[in-house]
Amino acid sequence: MMRALFTLGPYAGLIAAAIAAYYLFPSNLGFVTTVVVAMIFVLSLDLVMGVAGISTLGHAALYGTGAYAAAIFATLVSADPLLGLAVGAGAGAAIAFVSGLFLMRAQGLTLLMLSIAVTEVLSSLANKYSGLTGGADGLSFTPGALFGRFEFDFYGQLGYIYAVCVFLVVFGMLRIVVASPFGLTARGIKESPARMRAIGTPVYWRLVSVYTFAGAIAGLAGALGAQSTALVSLNVYDFQRSAEAVIMLIIGGTGRLWGAVIGTIVFMTVHQVAASADPFNWLFVIGALVLAVVYIVPAGLLGLPEMVKKLTGGAR
Amino acid sequence: MKFTHRLAVAAVVAAIAQSAGADTVKIGILAPFSGPFAMYGTQFKQAIEVYQAQNGTSVGGHDIELIYKDTGGPNPDVAKQLAQELLIKDGVKYLGGIVFTPNAMAVAPLINQSKTPTVLFNAATSVINAKSPFFVRTSMTLPQVSAPMADWAFAHGIKTVATAVTDYGPGIDAETAFTKEFTAKGGKVVDAIRMPIQTTDFGPFMQRIKTEAPNALFAFIPAGAPAFAFTKAYSDNGLKAAGIQALGTGDINDETTLEGLGDASIGIITSHHYSMAHDSAENKAFIAELQKLHPGAVSNFASIGAYDGIKVLYKMIETTGASGGEPAVKSVLGMSWVSPRGPVTIDPTNRTVTQNVYIRAITKGADGKLENKEIDTFPNVPDLGWAN
Amino acid sequence: MTTILSILIDGIAYGMILFMISVGLSVTMGLMRVVNLAHGGFALLGGAFTHVAMASLGMPFLLAAPVAVLVVMVLSVPMERVLYRPIYKMGELPQVLATIGITFLMIASVNRWLGSSPLSIPLPAAMSGAMNIGFRTLPTQRIYVIAAGLIVIVGLYALIERTRFGITLRASVDHPGTAACLGIDTSRVFLLTFALGAGLAALGGILGAELLPITAYYPLHYMVLFLTVVAVGGMGSIMGSFVAALGLGILDTATRYLVPDFGTVFFYVAMILVLGFRPHGLLGKA
Repeated sequence: MMRALFTLGPYAGLIAAAIAAYYLFPSNLGFVTTVVVAMIFVLSLDLVMGVAGISTLGHAALYGTGAYAAAIFATLVSADPLLGLAVGAGAGAAIAFVSGLFLMRAQGLTLLMLSIAVTEVLSSLANKYSGLTGGADGLSFTPGALFGRFEFDFYGQLGYIYAVCVFLVVFGMLRIVVASPFGLTARGIKESPARMRAIGTPVYWRLVSVYTFAGAIAGLAGALGAQSTALVSLNVYDFQRSAEAVIMLIIGGTGRLWGAVIGTIVFMTVHQVAASADPFNWLFVIGALVLAVVYIVPAGLLGLPEMVKKLTGGAR
Repeated sequence: MKFTHRLAVAAVVAAIAQSAGADTVKIGILAPFSGPFAMYGTQFKQAIEVYQAQNGTSVGGHDIELIYKDTGGPNPDVAKQLAQELLIKDGVKYLGGIVFTPNAMAVAPLINQSKTPTVLFNAATSVINAKSPFFVRTSMTLPQVSAPMADWAFAHGIKTVATAVTDYGPGIDAETAFTKEFTAKGGKVVDAIRMPIQTTDFGPFMQRIKTEAPNALFAFIPAGAPAFAFTKAYSDNGLKAAGIQALGTGDINDETTLEGLGDASIGIITSHHYSMAHDSAENKAFIAELQKLHPGAVSNFASIGAYDGIKVLYKMIETTGASGGEPAVKSVLGMSWVSPRGPVTIDPTNRTVTQNVYIRAITKGADGKLENKEIDTFPNVPDLGWAN
Repeated sequence: MTTILSILIDGIAYGMILFMISVGLSVTMGLMRVVNLAHGGFALLGGAFTHVAMASLGMPFLLAAPVAVLVVMVLSVPMERVLYRPIYKMGELPQVLATIGITFLMIASVNRWLGSSPLSIPLPAAMSGAMNIGFRTLPTQRIYVIAAGLIVIVGLYALIERTRFGITLRASVDHPGTAACLGIDTSRVFLLTFALGAGLAALGGILGAELLPITAYYPLHYMVLFLTVVAVGGMGSIMGSFVAALGLGILDTATRYLVPDFGTVFFYVAMILVLGFRPHGLLGKA
């Protein structure tokens, strides 16, 4: 009974939170939807960075490729949103696989820089082939009706429900994957690649497959983001997008899926509130938030309860 | 389906209007207030404050409330989300601002659904206005200012030109319009360079142009740090001494960077729709008020886009109050007035201002500071890039 | 032929600026193993202080620039003690996060103080304009930059190979534990090196302002550029940074002369190739 509650509780909680958000912020659904899209993106980053220990500052490469693929597919082939998601996920996985073949051979700063370079190359290419991508003006398209029946509305109600459903599926899938032998080997590689190699794990190929899988999820997030904006432009490949995802993940706590969820919510809410209060100087608040996390709760917000436990335990 | 939707929108909108008090009309301003393009947000806000200081914060019995939202740079996703928030949550009836083309494109479907008049203070690609009948533009389009530059250059003995533009939408617009006009007159474009957006060192382009030795170079670079570096590179690489005249759109020497360009930039000639040095009573009053509110502030094309933009919004609100919609747009089509930039008219077809385009040379003003001195005028130029 | 010479000379001038800004980052990253994304922030502060000293206090450039470098170095001392010291022992990602946070605060402060437009640093007449070097002209400023770059690399070499501080520095980089056992005050070495790195960044920011204009968002805008030089050259290697900066400078310049429409593709492909074959950079140690 307790066990069932433990595994199902989080979903019930998430669904309740999603429904609550729908009724609490009926006029902010646009913002809440971007948060949900970002959560999917950061979950993908968590799989790469938190679980498998691959450091990257170029996750936008996967997001952006998914976004462009979905938009180009919608203009040229079919505007069906679900097909678009599939195409985005496929494109994200493909680019992750190809770039993963050489990225996964590197570590540390080298890996960080290589991941940035991949994003920059893709961004330059997207600008160069503006006939296909719309270049700096962006590529606008109209996502079709969901299941051919439900139109996306002005208030973003359907867009929100759609995004939440995609998120729940991804979250559930990731929980299974992380707990599977596949996920456990990935964790093992993070702890000690040498040991994993010694027990016969093909470390390099395992990393490439984790990265490819994460690429599919990031591409899916990109496609979802593209559909909710109905436009893709070069900013999908911005360095800032990669860097902010890393910030959100560390704020929440790496290696745990909940960290990605909580970090994204906290970061984006603080940003939103600060930017509305003072559009000129909100960067002070973000800077302070980031530093506060590093110096006060280095394990991320998810580490907070354990830290409090330790502190009070020590006082006894 | 669609019809019920509009009803729902109307109902919510009416409810919000009532709860907010019938006399307050809200305008949402979307602009970059942070990031590398924050100059635009600052110029917008200052110019709006000047307009309100001169004309009050209410019009036709309606109090005006402005809500500023920070879009950062070219971030269509953010722009769309903020516009949605302004329309739904804050219940704004009018939008203004918008610096980047992709941001305008992302907002277009929204304002089509909500029928929200939106005045573009900057975004300068011709095609934007075709995406929504609710867009009205008080800035300019690149063809509008680039073609007169070509005319003027040819008439003043420049027969060969190398073009150098930033490799993205507006740059290509400028290159196309200039080249078309210049070759039609009989001039020759000897080289067309498209420079990557991330370019930092413009020296190589200058050297390339120098070896080609055309009569002049024509440039478009987005205002701010890149334009600053480009203009510096022109001065420092001795193109002037080699007899190659620098021409460009006013983006490369806008007033916020002008003083920093130094005396080496004297003689650069650009075409634009506004110069802070424009000699008219309206401009003097505008600048006097600006400097009263913000000592040391300068006005540039972004300021004037916002100043006239807010005037157009006031006019709409005066006519249609909190109801907005199509009648509001209609009420300003064909509207003419004398702006600090000179006489302007909103073209009823393309909804972009028809205006004088000035040819300006960088000179040292009476106060010892650099200024864009108007040396020639092309009166009443419409948006030359409008295709529909 | 002239084109090749032009590419070389423009590339070297550009590379020299990249070198001056990046070398401080390379030294501190090699020593402290900190991925310091805030490095460009010190270049920004150097440029901003010079601008203010010249525009508001009326100092001439040749006085304002060294004063600004000094102020940045002094300012970096408490920053190292308070902000950087706690993160030395942390992993790569918290370091990335912390230094991004510091960058944000630096940007926000300069933005609030001086706005977001380019901050001009007018050069004295002797350093501006163009100079004839035979087959073409070169901006005079570049000649000073090349000279300054050479002085910096020779000076750093002398400092590290010939002085007592250099010995302790090398010892602390190679074997921090042993160095501490031998009575070397490693924390002082860290502090001095950090200040040196910040000063070099400030100097590079000021001298490079013609190419990389000083604006509040400078550190974010050019962050990747500086990190690229360090990664390609190899962390901690001065010579590596020098070779990488010149190489990348020449490559980027050649792209602009020959195939400008490809943007920065070649720059980043080159980086991918170098790091693919030499993961620790051209001259980096494993």
